[in-house]
Amino acid sequence: MDKLGDGLRELVTGPDRWLNLGLLAGGFMVLALLTLAARALLRIPLKYTLRSLRARWVSSLMTLFGAALVVWASVLAFGLAAGLDHTLQVSSDPLDLLALRKGATAETSSIIEESLARQIATLPGIATNQRGQPLCSPELVVVVNKPRRTGGGHANVLVRGVTPVARELRPNFRLIAGRLPRTGLREAMTSPSMAGRFYGCRLGESLEVWGSQFRIVGLFTCGESAAESEVWTDLKVLGQTSKRPNLLSSVQLRAASPSAMAVLKDRLVNDEQFALKAVTEAEYFAEQAVAGLAIKIVGRIISFFLTIGACFAVANTMFGAVASRAREIGTLRALGFSRSNILAAFLIESLVLAMLGGLLGCLATLPLNGLSTGTANWQTFSEITFAFRFGPKVLLQGAALSVLMGLIGGMLPALRAVLMNTVEALREV
Amino acid sequence: MHSLPAQPVVQLRHVSKEYYRDKLRIPVLADTSLDIPAGEFVAVMGPSGSGKSTLLNLCAGLDRPTTGTIVVAGQDLGELSESQLTRWRSEHLGFIFQLYNLMPVLTAFENVELPLLLTNLSRRERARHVETALRIVGLEDRMHHYPRQLSGGQEQRVAIARAIVTDPVLLLADEPTGNLDAVAAVEVLDLLAQLNAEFGKTIVMVTHDPRAARRAHRILHLEKGRFEEADIEAIERGRSSGGDGERRRSPRAPSAEIAG
Ligand SMILES: Nc1ncnc2c1ncn2[C@@H]1O[C@H](COP(=O)(O)OP(=O)(O)OP(=O)(O)O)[C@@H](O)[C@H]1O
Ligand SMILES: [Mg+2]
Repeated sequence: MDKLGDGLRELVTGPDRWLNLGLLAGGFMVLALLTLAARALLRIPLKYTLRSLRARWVSSLMTLFGAALVVWASVLAFGLAAGLDHTLQVSSDPLDLLALRKGATAETSSIIEESLARQIATLPGIATNQRGQPLCSPELVVVVNKPRRTGGGHANVLVRGVTPVARELRPNFRLIAGRLPRTGLREAMTSPSMAGRFYGCRLGESLEVWGSQFRIVGLFTCGESAAESEVWTDLKVLGQTSKRPNLLSSVQLRAASPSAMAVLKDRLVNDEQFALKAVTEAEYFAEQAVAGLAIKIVGRIISFFLTIGACFAVANTMFGAVASRAREIGTLRALGFSRSNILAAFLIESLVLAMLGGLLGCLATLPLNGLSTGTANWQTFSEITFAFRFGPKVLLQGAALSVLMGLIGGMLPALRAVLMNTVEALREV
Repeated sequence: MHSLPAQPVVQLRHVSKEYYRDKLRIPVLADTSLDIPAGEFVAVMGPSGSGKSTLLNLCAGLDRPTTGTIVVAGQDLGELSESQLTRWRSEHLGFIFQLYNLMPVLTAFENVELPLLLTNLSRRERARHVETALRIVGLEDRMHHYPRQLSGGQEQRVAIARAIVTDPVLLLADEPTGNLDAVAAVEVLDLLAQLNAEFGKTIVMVTHDPRAARRAHRILHLEKGRFEEADIEAIERGRSSGGDGERRRSPRAPSAEIAG
């Protein structure tokens, strides 16, 4: 119940609240307009529809739960994909460049001499901070295997050695608890979601890396980017501990302008002195997102087939409704209700059924909103933490799905009701 | 009370109707002509399968004749498209069925209100009409009861209220007492006679029951696709000797609640 409340609260207080509320308001307005338009067709009162559903409550409820389950699963799949997208994209500034060893596809398989990084920092065209220092961050990543707090088993954790400038390259970086690790000490910081997922990652606990204990002194968030799946510590200390002194994994830098960016990229790649691989963050994460793509595709396929199944369930229920109410339909026709009145009534009936199910399914996902999970990043084999994100887009997808189920599942039965011969329908007992 | 206009309310001219089932021709009405003047209460009798229901369906525009013309309330039904017929029906006709055909999920009030939802009346006007109709049939105190909470006779009276709520010129009743016990049947027949006498409704009632038919001004006998004016005495004589071959569809067992 708490989670449900949290989910709802995030919907109206979270960073997307104006978009959420706007979409909600817009949705209601469209609905109101449609209702007005439907009034012309909807001569048969809504209470007839609703009470008929209630009269057959067993089959109605079963169909409703079926629809709810399908929408729930689909919204979860959509939310998973959206969360992954968010994690992989949120940090990329278009002017950011990531320099790796030539041929490396991930930071973990990349080695760069520290001296090279110092030379890169002197290149023209790199943006500077207020103190005139270049925004050029030498970084070293080390993968360690750590026990999970929940679910058992171990998973890889990415430990990143950084200098203070690393934070300036991540504009969303926020220290939310404790303090920053001090230079030269075995101190580290990580994200709250990591703290919840791995032993040794809570504030005040110690994480063992290559035989040394790193005390967690701070917790940070970073706009839900991939950095939130990492543990950050001092670059020098990590280099010594992991027996890679003077070696780096990558150099992150920010260009001063798009043209400077092109020149820098060209220089880093083609100058024999460097001969590195230089990719924008977006490009880098695009390479990393294979796992995300798989989740997306599988999710879409599953929800597609589930939806077809749900359409059949709705259709089955509605065929039953039409068949058992043949005489009622004939009577309505004899009273002067038109074929389109009948069509509208039965379509509304299946829509109500599917949309109630959809609403239930969407509500059932709210407790999971923001719940973080991990997926193996297939290139680094470390875990990327990401959260289900049920923004308005995902919820609208769920709503659209339920409308679709109601319309497609209800269309044939409604047509059957409409095409029924009135005289014969009246002869039914 | 009221003057009869020259134009009859129902006018059949050389109407024939045949059905086809598996290429087999089933003639039902053969070159039938018939006038029913306004304000008349007509009973239609005839053996099962003689086409009585078919006749009502034709008059209601629910079915089309194979040949011939049908003019009801001054309107040639053959000139109307199906959707026009639907609209016309809601404005000019009241239908009463043997099995009442009330919507089980709607209350008496809501059932009677149904035909008014096709008009542009406001909610308050509709309520006024519904209450009037229910008062005429004597069920204003049962307004918020569902059909299953009513006896058969009461259900049929609700159905009659639904048929008259739009103030139609013509009431078509297909065996309205066919499912009722004697006491309830008399109540329904009294009501129909009252609607005819006091409100001038033209009524065409199909029935198998000679006692019901006697309440009408005129009895038409449908046999082998043609009408003949029936002699009620002859029918009664035939009935007492058990030879008229008519049957009643699933007669309802008399129930104590109706008598009360
Ligand atoms: N849709 C149809 N297709 C084929 N034949 C039909 C159809 N409707 C009616 N008939 C036939 O037309 C004839 C007349 O039917 P109708 O229902 O009008 O009889 P009825 O006089 O009302 O009989 P009952 O007293 O049993 O109600 C019957 O033989 C019936 O089988
Ligand atoms: Mg009949």
